[in-house]
Amino acid sequence: MVKKNIKIINKLGLHARASSKLTELACSFSSEIFLIKDNSKVNAKSIMEVLMLAASNNTVITLEADGDDEKKAIKDIENLFNNYFGEGE
Amino acid sequence: MSTFSIHGVPVSNGIAIGNAQLISNALLEVVHYQLNKKEISNEIKRLSNAINDVRKDLLKIKKQLQKDSSEEFSAFIDTHLMILMDDNFTEKPKNIINEDYCNAEWALKKQMDLLVSKFEKIQDEYIKERKNDVIQVVERILKVLLGHPTQSNQTNKESSTILVAHDISPADALQFKKHQYAAFLTDMGGSTSHTAILARSLNIPSIVALQNARTLIKNNEKIIVDGNQGIVIVNPSKDILEDYEVRQNIWGIEQQKLSKIKNIQCKTINNEKIELLANIEVPGDIESVKNNKAAGIGLFRTEFLFMNRKDLPNEDEQFEIYKSVARSMKEKTVVIRTLDSGADKLTSADTTISANPALGLRAIRLCLSEPQLFNIQLRAILRASRFGKIKILIPMLSSLTELRQTKLLIERAKKSLMNEKILFNKNIMVGGMIEVPAVAINAEIFAQELDFLSIGTNDLVQYTLAIDRTDDRVSHLYNSLHPAILKLINITIKAGRKYKKEVSICGEMAGDTKLTRLLLGMGLRYFSMHPSRILSVKKQVLNSNTQKLVSSSAKILKAKESENIRTLIQKLNQ
Repeated sequence: MVKKNIKIINKLGLHARASSKLTELACSFSSEIFLIKDNSKVNAKSIMEVLMLAASNNTVITLEADGDDEKKAIKDIENLFNNYFGEGE
Repeated sequence: MSTFSIHGVPVSNGIAIGNAQLISNALLEVVHYQLNKKEISNEIKRLSNAINDVRKDLLKIKKQLQKDSSEEFSAFIDTHLMILMDDNFTEKPKNIINEDYCNAEWALKKQMDLLVSKFEKIQDEYIKERKNDVIQVVERILKVLLGHPTQSNQTNKESSTILVAHDISPADALQFKKHQYAAFLTDMGGSTSHTAILARSLNIPSIVALQNARTLIKNNEKIIVDGNQGIVIVNPSKDILEDYEVRQNIWGIEQQKLSKIKNIQCKTINNEKIELLANIEVPGDIESVKNNKAAGIGLFRTEFLFMNRKDLPNEDEQFEIYKSVARSMKEKTVVIRTLDSGADKLTSADTTISANPALGLRAIRLCLSEPQLFNIQLRAILRASRFGKIKILIPMLSSLTELRQTKLLIERAKKSLMNEKILFNKNIMVGGMIEVPAVAINAEIFAQELDFLSIGTNDLVQYTLAIDRTDDRVSHLYNSLHPAILKLINITIKAGRKYKKEVSICGEMAGDTKLTRLLLGMGLRYFSMHPSRILSVKKQVLNSNTQKLVSSSAKILKAKESENIRTLIQKLNQ
């Protein structure tokens, strides 16, 4: 199992479009992937759960992956966050 | 395809011929029923199939969009697809069916309610709004389950589309204003419902209280809407269609004739000047105020400023809007009614819904209980007052105490502006709405403490006859020609005359050409109505002699029954 803290840097946080990109990416891995914020732990493969995490700009969340491709999953997802979800801000 | 007709209440004149567009509200149709153990697996299959159908439908839309639309849109569809395929919809409702032995629709709605309540708790306003995406996705699945799938094309913008809906809410109304529908038909509603007001403001025919139009009319079916008589003809034969095309032309010509009296002064035959003012909702309505040559704005409803938003409009924002309206009307009167919210026009300020909203905390009651909110509006109106001829109108007064409290708050707002050295019209006139029967009966007392009186006939009728105008089971009892209503109006007009205060009517009655002569005979000189009604009423005024109307109006006031009153009014109009 791999864990990593990530800061949300894009302006709108995990809004609908960012959430759907994240969910789409998470679904491409066989590992189980979770996002943890405060006391809630949600399945990164469920857009509803990701949305309801309501993680806004500047929040630090923990990424957790468990499975065969866990390392690549964490790396790719981290890239997505750091690239502002491909939205430029 | 057989021809048939449906009858309803006509609320906006005109004739439209076009194709029906059904707006369904699937959520309203969800009912609960219990299943046998044997039926469970079938019900789950039914749900899976529906979800699968919606998925295919969305993919199809996405494909179409990719051809001719922006990336933005297809991302939007992607989100809906992901919500649809989320465990929250593919799995959880199945568990509910398994546990509760209930139908798929109910399980889906239960799951949606749960999700929506979770979204409601989210602080981030943007993410909170995503609950609407969840609702939209559920609506799609429900429509398939209920057997009337959404047609995949977007809203048809052609002017020959006729909207057929269950009801039109104030929020819908603002949205539909942007589309060019040829007519509105609704199952619910009465002559003062939002559908009616919207249709008249757009100058398109409308029929409401059709009961089950949405089940009788199919999507895209050809229909004729006769807004003059309240008849909808579905699948008209060639003969009927031709007949109506002729009628439509004649109607258009009559409308053109009216435009010729635009620039004539509004005087009766005996040379008495009558002021026809306009009711407006948004600054954008001013264009039609000017087109119809209104004498001023007799009612600027401000609650639309407070609608369809999460926060309240601040002082500067309100000031800019009031100022722009005052400025564009120049030396002409602009009567601004303070917030008349509550009842059917909910704003974010209202948190609880009472059993009887029309009798609850609304209008001036709400403002007096939220003095801060009221103060912001009063300051904004006062600040704008030096840019035109603004007057303040207080809605729903029911006691002198309320009036005095309100005046005190106005004085306080004035004082605070003076302290800040902000200019305003110190002699701004303050008028009151006469819409609670208690106030009409005591109109003389109120006339002494107000600068002008404005009779809101819609609410006056509703309160006097104890009829909920939005309840279509009793809306046929709503009757502005009830002898008691005419008496209350008469008392108010007399009180105004005694104390030399202007009296106007700003309800639907002011724009009803059948009543123009009666009201002139009763002594009314100020009529405020929807801008589109002004020319028709003007035509009546130009052909009337107030001196000759006095005795017949007095006779009508003595009548005991509405039936009798109607006959006498017909004679008066001959």
